[in-house]
Parts: sequence; structure tokens; C-alpha cells
Amino acid sequence: MSAQATSVRGLFSRYGVRLLRTYGVVLALVLVVILVASQSSAFLTWTNITNLSGQWAAAGIIAVGMTYVIICGGLDLSVGASFSFCAITAAQVAQTTAPEVAFLAAIGVGLVIGTINGMVVTLLKVNSLIATLGTGLILAGLGLVWTDNAPIPVTDEGFARLGQEVAGIPYSGILLVLFLVVGGIVLARTVYGQWVYATGGNLEAASLTGLPTRLVTASTYAFTGVCAGVAGVIAASQLGAAQADFDPDLLFDVITIVVLGGTSLTGGFGAMWRTAVGIAIIATLDNGFNLLNLDPNFQDIFKGAILIGALALDSYAQRLARAREG
Amino acid sequence: MTAARPVVIEARKVSKRFPGVQALTDVDFELRQGEVHGLVGQNGAGKSTLMKLVSGVHTPDAGEVLVDGEELRYGSPRASREAGIAVIYQELTIAPEMSAADNVFLSGGDRPAGWRSLSRLRRRFDELGGLLGLDLDASERAGSLSVARQQQLEIMRALDGRRRVILMDEPTAALGRHEREALYRIIGALRESGIGIVYISHDLDEVLQLCDRVSVMRDGLLVETRPREEASKDALVKAMVGSALATRPPLVADASKGEEVLRVDDLNVPGAAHDVSFSLHRGEILGLAGLVGAGRTEILRAVAGADPRATGQMRIDGQEVPWPRSVRAALRRGIALAPEDRKSQGLVLNRTAAENVVMSDMRDVARGGLISRRRRRAAAAAACGPLAFDTARLDVQVSTLSGGNQQKLALAKWVHRRPRILLVDEPTRGIDVGAKVEVLRVLRHLADDGLGVILVSSELEEVVEAADRALVVAGGRGAGVLEGADLSVDRILQRVFAVEEAA
Repeated sequence: MSAQATSVRGLFSRYGVRLLRTYGVVLALVLVVILVASQSSAFLTWTNITNLSGQWAAAGIIAVGMTYVIICGGLDLSVGASFSFCAITAAQVAQTTAPEVAFLAAIGVGLVIGTINGMVVTLLKVNSLIATLGTGLILAGLGLVWTDNAPIPVTDEGFARLGQEVAGIPYSGILLVLFLVVGGIVLARTVYGQWVYATGGNLEAASLTGLPTRLVTASTYAFTGVCAGVAGVIAASQLGAAQADFDPDLLFDVITIVVLGGTSLTGGFGAMWRTAVGIAIIATLDNGFNLLNLDPNFQDIFKGAILIGALALDSYAQRLARAREG
Repeated sequence: MTAARPVVIEARKVSKRFPGVQALTDVDFELRQGEVHGLVGQNGAGKSTLMKLVSGVHTPDAGEVLVDGEELRYGSPRASREAGIAVIYQELTIAPEMSAADNVFLSGGDRPAGWRSLSRLRRRFDELGGLLGLDLDASERAGSLSVARQQQLEIMRALDGRRRVILMDEPTAALGRHEREALYRIIGALRESGIGIVYISHDLDEVLQLCDRVSVMRDGLLVETRPREEASKDALVKAMVGSALATRPPLVADASKGEEVLRVDDLNVPGAAHDVSFSLHRGEILGLAGLVGAGRTEILRAVAGADPRATGQMRIDGQEVPWPRSVRAALRRGIALAPEDRKSQGLVLNRTAAENVVMSDMRDVARGGLISRRRRRAAAAAACGPLAFDTARLDVQVSTLSGGNQQKLALAKWVHRRPRILLVDEPTRGIDVGAKVEVLRVLRHLADDGLGVILVSSELEEVVEAADRALVVAGGRGAGVLEGADLSVDRILQRVFAVEEAA
């Protein structure tokens, strides 16, 4: 009997831990979808899902960049502020020029912001939390000064195009999927992606192997800056306006998405499909609260609890895995 | 003599299985009061697992562990501590920013929750130090102490809880000769005071010198336990490798040397190396011999471009080149470093073996930026070929591999990249006898292929055995080059001590 029990436990620690660690998050998504779909028939409809893709495009695209930063061993706390700043840039430039120019200008500003973040972290060697907290504060302040804390509306109809649909699918949703797919392939299948994993997994080993670790690290912030730029453009276009402190929840949502997906904050472990699943979980929960007319205040409580639960589960699985190795 | 003493810990027919491995089978083991009990065996023989059972970290699948005749409560470090069992792991558990005394009394000393009287702690610290014949400063920052001193802090910590059993896992692996002697004295003092010690080591001479009894493990079995008087090095090795007795392949050097591939003149690293000069030829293994702290690692790192403070002149193939200011610059000149600590500096532990091997050069495994898994696997398998690394394990996460296999990967990485000059820092530290021979053979193989190899090892015997010539380093300075019949442990030590006495 004891041998039986041992073998069941053995089987669990052999396959269960690995499966839980790898696909536990997918299981969570399935459960959440079943839960919400069983309560509301409006949830699993084409219109609702495409709407959601547009709604979550901004946070989702930034989460794509954030996935790179976190796997590379850092964290970017400036994304909320740079997102707003890029949106403002788009709206301001669109006052005088064509919307396409405004879009490109905003994305360019995002690239500059991200590059500065990357340089502060790698050249000045400031801890990434502090560095991006600092640049985030600066950007938030600059945004307020630039706009006098007033919304900047844009009248040009072309500016709103990104907020519209093609064949029933929002442009922004298509962009989100594009970022996820291309970002995922680059991360999983290219030499650059390997460098990101190696740098985050063991910085010293990577640099003694001759990898350009500083360039790799800086590039993840630069890319995240671009993502924030694209997200800012999308949000400004969707609303036809921009404002400093555009979306105070954005930073929290982005980090929740990446971490909930199972990408590890210690660096070196994670994947883009995880971020996609993270987006789906958060979007489903958020939508569920709306569809069921629940008090939105409870939503934050729920999100926070889920985040802690996910991390606790991941840390438990890691400990089991380590015990197995030891 | 020891037979008369009472048994403190006894493992009775313990077995432990991990997924895929039967780690221990029906092992009987006992430790007596005031006994130093050596435990030897190849990597993976089950030494560490046995220690984890005896210290209550793991629960045995079958059998039992008795402390003073009562079964140990498994899985509770607290219960083990109360039973008087302390473990000193190879990786030390020192809090670097805290003082030496705070590290010793990490658990709060005799008043865990109460007010800490600094003068009392200090007195107790000096008391413990006196017991071991140590002279340590209680207020010194632990992180600024040498590894040997940090280890002494751990031993003091173990003593403070009135321990009766101390398990030591390769305590001398990171120590130099003098520091080892100091540890042996401490162990002698502990034995006198009636503490039982389990001593795991790969160094059989040390085990035979130090231990009252020696147990040999192989493939999860405890194959024999015998008193020191009845043990010999040959007998231990035979018991460790079993019937498949490894015949040592000769590591003789090819006498014909190639042209000079690297020449270093007046290398200076602030605080570590002064005016060091040497040359390296194609097809040659040059040993850097010296004691720990002599500057060997610093010299290697400087040549590999890993220390931006280094200055000196470098010639490659007779051509003067600027001193490499980065690892990448050194690699462009064909200089690669396999660093000292494979886990923290050499490998990315949560990636697969194949990914680690090809990390050094991905030009051939990617097409248009996209990595081909097939090519990656083929390239990694090719690089691992000469190292006898089991290619079935190429897709396994590196953290799950043994130390010997990890070391092979750290070398395979550079076999894959094919540098012209390979710097190897302590490639055989903490790996078993069989893997050691293989690693040294690979270095010779690479040299025969035309590489210049520089080998740093704390085991002088190894330098003598594997190197064609050796540069003796002492106090950060070159103390002459030995070769041929002059290359012997005695000669190396003569040179080292000549410098130390002059200083």
C-alpha cells in the first residue's frame, strides 16, 4: 500500500508539477471562461470578443514589451507615464499636421523614452525599478506641464481611424495579435530571443560568454518604449483625445498580465504565449464583472487576490521542482 | 577505540527514490560520538542524499533514521537542530552585510526573541573562537572575509547550538593549503570535544589523513565501511568505481610545441597582479600554479577581458594588440574563458544543455535570424562529442545535471566556438574522479588540435599531471616557469614559499 502511495506521489511530482507549472495558467483561463460564459450568454460571442481585443489592445501591446523586459531580468515602471505622454504627443502633433505624422511622432517619442530608460539602467547602472520609477515621474510631470492637465481633443477624422474596425474587427485588436505573434516568434525562435533569456537567466554567464548583454538589456526597454508609443496612439485614436494621466490602472494591468501568465519576475523564465493567456484572463474577468453588473470596486479586490494566488502557486511549483532536483 | 563510543546517529536500511533515480537502496550507516566518519563516492553515488536523510531534510521511503535511538522527525529543520545536528554545505550560508558575530548568532543565540546583549554575544563569540583556536574579529563585515573564514563562522554557528553532530559537505573544496590545515586542526578540536562529524570529500588523501572510519558509496549503495587503518587509496578508488575500474589514459604531452600564440608582458591588475609576464604556445597546456588568493583567477580574467582595470602588453601570433577591454574584444581575438564557478558564471541553469552549448556562437544554428532546432541540436551534439556527454540529455534543463556534466557543458560551449586560446579556471573543482580524468583529457585533446590552453587549478598534482609547463604565481607575481622534470609539486611549493618568506 505504501509502495502504491509512493508511486502516485512520485507520478505527481514527476509530471504533475511540470504540467502545473507549464499549463496551470491555461487551466485557470479555461475555468474563468467557463465561469463567465455560464453566467452570461453575451460573453462567448464574436462581437464581444473582437470588442475585447480592441479594449485590451493598449495594455496588451505594452505587456508584449514588458514580457521582454521581465524575462531579461528587469521591470519597467514608467510604461503608464510614457503611454500617456505618447498619447499626448500624438494629439498635440495632430493639431497641426496629418494624423500619420502624429502617429509616427508618438511612436518615435516612445522609442526615445525607452532608449533613455535602457541607457539609465545599463550605462548608469541604476536599478531598473528606481530608474523607471524616476523616468515615469519625470514624464508624468512633463505631460501635466505640456497640457495644463486638460484633455487635448483631436478633430481630424483620420486620427480616429485606428479606433475603427475592418470586417468587424478593430484595427487595434489586429495590431495586438500582430505584436503577440511577431513578438512571440522573435522571443522563442531567434538568436536575439535566446540572448534575452540568457541575459535574464544568468547575467554573468551571458557576459562571460561574450553576449552583448548591455545592448540586449537596453533594447528590451527601447522596444517597450515603442510598445508604449503604439499603445498611446491606439488609445488616443480610440477616444479622439489624449490627456496626462490617461489611464492610472495601466501599469498595474500590464504587470498583472505578464506575471499572471507565469513569466517569472526573477528573469530568465517566461514566454509570449503566457502573456497572451494573461491578457485573456484579465479581459475575461473584467468583462465578466461588466456583463454581470457587479460592483466594479470588487474587481480590484478580485484582481489583487488572483495575482497573489498565481504567484503563490508558481512559487510552490518551483519549490516542488527544486526538491525533485535536490 | 571508536567502537566503544555510543552511536549518535544511525540510519537503518534507508531507501530513497526520486523520479527516474533510485538514489539510495537499503543503506546502513552509523556515526559515533567523537568520530570523524569519511564518506566518499563518485558524483551521483548518493552521498548528498544520505546526508539529507540523516539531517532530516528528506523523508526516507523505507527504513528509519535514529538519533539516540529515537526516530528523527523528518522534514523539519527545527527538529534536526533540536536533535543537535548541524550541516555545513558546500555553498555557504553567510549574510555578507552582517557582522561576523551576527552571522554566528543568526538564530538569535540563546535568547531568540529577547534583548540582545552585545557584550554577551561578543564574549560568546570569543569563547567559541577560542574553543577552535581561531582569531576572528566579531565586528568584521562577513562579506569581506575569505571563504575559509566564512566557513569558520559557519562552524562556530554549528557549535553554538551545543551540537553533537556536524555534517560537512566538501568543506575543503574552496580552500587553499594553509586554510585546509587550519580546518583540519578545527576538526581535531571538535573530535576531542566529543562531536561526531560526517566528512564528505573527493580528496582521498585528506579523508585517509583525517577520518577514523571511511564509508564508500556507489550507485546508491553503501558498499563498505572500514576503519582508517584498513583503508588505502587504491582500495577506496576500487570500491568507488566498482568492477568497471577506469584505466587512466596517459595524459602525456606531445613534446613538439607550436609557435607562440600569446605573449603577455607586465600585466597589472590593481591589488591582484603585478608585472606578470608569460607566453603560451600552440598545442600547449600552461598551468598557473599557486595558492588560493595568489592572483591566478585575476590573471585569467584580465587576459579574457573581464577586468577593465587590467593593463599590460599583449601579443597574439607575434602581433602587438591592444589589451582587451571587454570579453567580447577578447573573444574577437580568439581568447575564451571557462570561469571558476560554472553555476553562477558559466551556465544559464534554467535553459537546456543544447541552448547553453551553442550560446557561444549562434551563427551556424540560425538561418536569417531564426534558430533551427535541428541545427542547434546537431551543433551541440558535435561539440559534446569529445567530452563524452550523453547526447540524450541535450534537451534537459542544465540545473538538473550533475556537477561533472555541468562542467563538461561549460567546456563544450567553447569547443563549439573554437577559440584559439582557452583559459580554464578550476575545471575539476567538486567533480568526481571519473569526470576529472575526462575533463583533463579533453583539455589535452583541444591542445593537440592546436589550441593554446591555460589551466588554473588549486590541486597542484593536477597542474603537474596535466600541464606542459607551469607558471608559478605567488602574491600576485610570477615566480618562474617550471617544465619537464622540474615540474613537480615540491618545486612549485618551493617557489611559492620562497616568495612568501621574502614578503
